[in-house]
Amino acid sequence: MLIEDFVIQSNIRRMLIRTDIDYSKMDFGTVKGVVYVRGIFQLSRLYTDGDEERTKEFTVKTLFSFEKKIRSVPGVTDVIFQFLNWRKEKGQWVPVEMKGKEAEDEEETESNL
Amino acid sequence: MRKRQNPIYKRVLHEIEREAQIHPRYADLQNQLALLCMFRGEAKRAENHFSEAIRLNRKYQDAILNLGLLYIETKRLEEAEEIFLSEVRRHPKDGFLHHVLGILYIRTGRKMEAAARIHKAIQCHSYYRDYYRKRGVWRRGLVHLDRKAERTLKKIHLDQHYAQFHNFIGLYLAQKGKSTQAVKELRKAAELKPDEFIFHANLGTVYYYQGLYPKALQQFQKALEIDPLYGMGYANLSYIYGLLSRTQEALRFMKKAVRLNPQYADLHYNLALLYSDRKQYKQAILELKKALRINPGYLLARINLGVLYEDQKRWNEARREYRKILKITPDDEHIRKRLEKIS
Repeated sequence: MLIEDFVIQSNIRRMLIRTDIDYSKMDFGTVKGVVYVRGIFQLSRLYTDGDEERTKEFTVKTLFSFEKKIRSVPGVTDVIFQFLNWRKEKGQWVPVEMKGKEAEDEEETESNL
Repeated sequence: MRKRQNPIYKRVLHEIEREAQIHPRYADLQNQLALLCMFRGEAKRAENHFSEAIRLNRKYQDAILNLGLLYIETKRLEEAEEIFLSEVRRHPKDGFLHHVLGILYIRTGRKMEAAARIHKAIQCHSYYRDYYRKRGVWRRGLVHLDRKAERTLKKIHLDQHYAQFHNFIGLYLAQKGKSTQAVKELRKAAELKPDEFIFHANLGTVYYYQGLYPKALQQFQKALEIDPLYGMGYANLSYIYGLLSRTQEALRFMKKAVRLNPQYADLHYNLALLYSDRKQYKQAILELKKALRINPGYLLARINLGVLYEDQKRWNEARREYRKILKITPDDEHIRKRLEKIS
């Protein structure tokens, strides 16, 4: 049976709330089983201790587990990430320098949680 | 001041102290630190942190009220009165402020002023009518302040304060993934102040985290009984019914949420998904357009709109939406492919 987009969306929402991710600058949506996630990916304030290297390492781990969790939601056929500050290249997550305008725009992004 | 030496509170205090060192300009952390110090009986430290929170954010009402309540607890009643009078000037219809002033005047033996404030609190919110009636203070349309009533009322404002403390600890523990402990704290908050919708809503949210959906539904419904205009409560009910794959109910509640919060683009988006799942494409398109009118940069809504047009073979409109998306995100390969396919 085809899983409805709203059901997928509700599952992603719940899953996201239970992670270590600061979702206030992120948007996500579902179109015919394909999940889109965009915005700025960052860890929740509670999980950063000011050490840049450790934070980066933890962020990469969180990105991998985030992707895995989304793909495991019933009905999800694909996931498309469009983060402004992280990109997946050859199976690896790499940080991306945000352009000034993009960073400003994202400051105004409405969170959809 | 009543001291609470629970080891969880001690641990939370250490964790928030550490966070406040990393983020010294976060007013909410200062307010939380102050609450924790207050409940550990460290009044001076609590005062310093509340003051710092207010310095960082002059309009931080929770911190201002907390400082006022701390002054009441530490018997600095003149300073407390100054705070609450200033707040009541800014929010003359806030029943709680009149209620606290009433209690403050009882403590200082100013019965007439106390009665006037209690009367105002009752005028502001029907909750206070029931509240004072139950305590024998409000009878036949008049305020009666006999000795017994005075004794009861002298203590009562602290319930609000303790409830807020447990609520904050509960939310903190929930954020840390400690849902079971969080539920305990939030239940304490809701027991101390059962008429506060936000405590039930928070409890509902934690049950929702835990996957205890019937309990979550019950708490959100309680919150909505207290405040039927709490639009996000309906949205949360809708999400839970979504998780239960009961989309009929999800649709009903999302419609209510949208009616109460017509300016929330995301709610229109979710309503559009529900319509689209039921193949009510016309309504789905309408809701997506509403979302985009509110937030023209809402790319996800535009993607859904493009795909819906595509499904209905409205190629020109689909192409138009995809081109708009590519103007904003030219690197979007997925949309580029979709556009190429229909060009």
